[in-house]
Amino acid sequence: MSTFVLSRWNGRLTLRLQRKALIVALILATILLSICAASLMSGSYPLTLREVLATLAGDPPVDTAETIVWQFRFPRTLVAGMAGALFGLSGAILQYVTRNPLADPSLVGVSQGASLAVVTLIVIYPEVNIALRPLIAFGGALLVAALIQWIAMQRTGGATMRFILTGIGVAAFISAVTTSMLTYGNIDQAQSALGWLAGSIHAVGWGEVWSLAACLIVLTPCLIWSARYLSALRMGPEVATGLGVPIKWGRIGMITLSVALAAFAVAAVGPLGFVGLVAPHLARRLAHSGVGQHLLLTALTGAVMVGLADFIGRTAFAPIQIPAGILTAILGVPVFLFIIVKQNTTRQL
Amino acid sequence: MLAGYVWLIFMTRITWLGMPVILTMMVFAFGWHIAVGAKTVPLADVFTALTSYDRTNFDHVVVVDLRLPRAVYAVLVGASLSVAGALMQGITRNPLAEPGILGLLTGASFVVVLAVGFFRVVDPVWIPLLAAIGATATAALVWGIAAAAPGGSTPLTLVLAGAAITAFLGAFIALANLLDQESFEAMRVWLTGTLAGRSTDVLLWSLPWMIGGLALAFGLARQVTALAMGDDTAVGLGVNVAKIKALAMLAVIALTAASVAIAGPMGFVGLVIPHVARLIVGADYRLIVPFSAALGAVYLLLVDIAARMVLAPVEISTGLVTALLGAPFFVWLVRARL
Repeated sequence: MSTFVLSRWNGRLTLRLQRKALIVALILATILLSICAASLMSGSYPLTLREVLATLAGDPPVDTAETIVWQFRFPRTLVAGMAGALFGLSGAILQYVTRNPLADPSLVGVSQGASLAVVTLIVIYPEVNIALRPLIAFGGALLVAALIQWIAMQRTGGATMRFILTGIGVAAFISAVTTSMLTYGNIDQAQSALGWLAGSIHAVGWGEVWSLAACLIVLTPCLIWSARYLSALRMGPEVATGLGVPIKWGRIGMITLSVALAAFAVAAVGPLGFVGLVAPHLARRLAHSGVGQHLLLTALTGAVMVGLADFIGRTAFAPIQIPAGILTAILGVPVFLFIIVKQNTTRQL
Repeated sequence: MLAGYVWLIFMTRITWLGMPVILTMMVFAFGWHIAVGAKTVPLADVFTALTSYDRTNFDHVVVVDLRLPRAVYAVLVGASLSVAGALMQGITRNPLAEPGILGLLTGASFVVVLAVGFFRVVDPVWIPLLAAIGATATAALVWGIAAAAPGGSTPLTLVLAGAAITAFLGAFIALANLLDQESFEAMRVWLTGTLAGRSTDVLLWSLPWMIGGLALAFGLARQVTALAMGDDTAVGLGVNVAKIKALAMLAVIALTAASVAIAGPMGFVGLVIPHVARLIVGADYRLIVPFSAALGAVYLLLVDIAARMVLAPVEISTGLVTALLGAPFFVWLVRARL
């Protein structure tokens, strides 16, 4: 396999690029673009590709087209893609750091923590500015991640599998608290929170687009920089120590990064399940590559997954909209079961 | 040696004393459960309402027609789910086994929801049967997946397979709910696990399943004790392992189906109570099964009181309270036992 190395600043940033992985990335990007185009074209007011392109270029054929594309379909498509990328990256980092192929923000309670924080905000302090949602979600998710880590790390050895089981328990508890909160709140707020909780993208606007874009722009350099630590950490704590990685702070930093990615995505589109689990695995099956490129492929795969889930959910049973979260769960569970059956994860208990 | 004897006598005493104490607690919890509510009825009136019912007395009507059925549901569902959990933990030698965590409750509710929502099944005769079909299919699926995993059906693979199936069926329930909102509106509260507002018809048709399941559980208790020591030991003790496991699963499914038919998926009850019972009486399932039944009844009565009182006048679903109490217990078990 042909590889070439990209090196900058005296090797402080080094990426080993493989041709196959690059081709796969290009194919994924093409699929993503076609999903975007299909998503912009279809709906209760169908547009042709030419009309969509003209509207995006600022020359709409009719005024309706401009409203539909710029106000509804374009932000929605962008948010679906970016949220998918964030969920995928979050899952990939979590899997590298915990060395656990089953780690996923929605499985270990991180997404539920973010949801609880946001639902609390919606129900108890409805007057708080909506722009604060990502921060609140981040706080809740971070708290839950710290809790699970603390519980799981109490005993040494086999900590990775206990991490997952602990996460399942904590997730069940937080979901129950969230549902109680909905019972307690008044019906209007509960309804708006319920729609958001199902993992639906239909209510997003440009605010979410900018919030996710900012998150991607700020955190992507951190990710590229951290790829080398991840590749050391995935060898196990002993090897990583030998390679000169500060294990404790490396882990804490990486988990915080993963939690931040998931929290921003949850704040925008609600807790979409199983994307963070499935995207890294699909990416790995598409092309074996180093950590940096794997992260790129994961982001693209996640974006394709959520974009597709949103597109299908929007068009399959129109005019009824199926929240993307339902579709990602239906697609994700078989993959999850496949991983359980195929991979030797049980030995680590 | 001496300390051992003292401990044995002490434990036997606890066993002898334990049952009357728990039954007394159950009577009090039952009375308290009926007494509290939007209109508090004094315990003495509860007693007279049950012994000499007076149709013209408003309190008596409230007690007998509205609150008594709910208290009876709590006792029956609590006992059934706890015994089902105890049997599952015994035959799988898995401290985390429970109808809810392994997906049986969701499977049972899934089939009931589909049948009621799409095929308009309203006859209460069929509800427990449908729930049993769902529970059986889910159990087979979860065990099949766990057994196919490398290392076989360990606590971890069983819990993961159960969690995955729960998420999968949950997504389909949500989908059905969206596609046909009117039919499923009535099922929404039931789906969180509640003792409120079930008709007594369902109870009548679920009762045979419960009695059968409980009788089977009591009958199997001795062999389950042997199974809990491991399959090899059980074979050495002359137990027909495959037969006893099949019969015990039959009891589990009957109890789960009846509970779901009455109260919907009520998670974690079957996890918590058998562990508490084991703490009191030790490893003998001839004691664990009856103690689980009695403790489960008391537990669900108390939980239901809490569900009605904590945020009064709003009522939380009972299933939410069992999850709030049970999930931390699950986390503790993972830490302590695995």
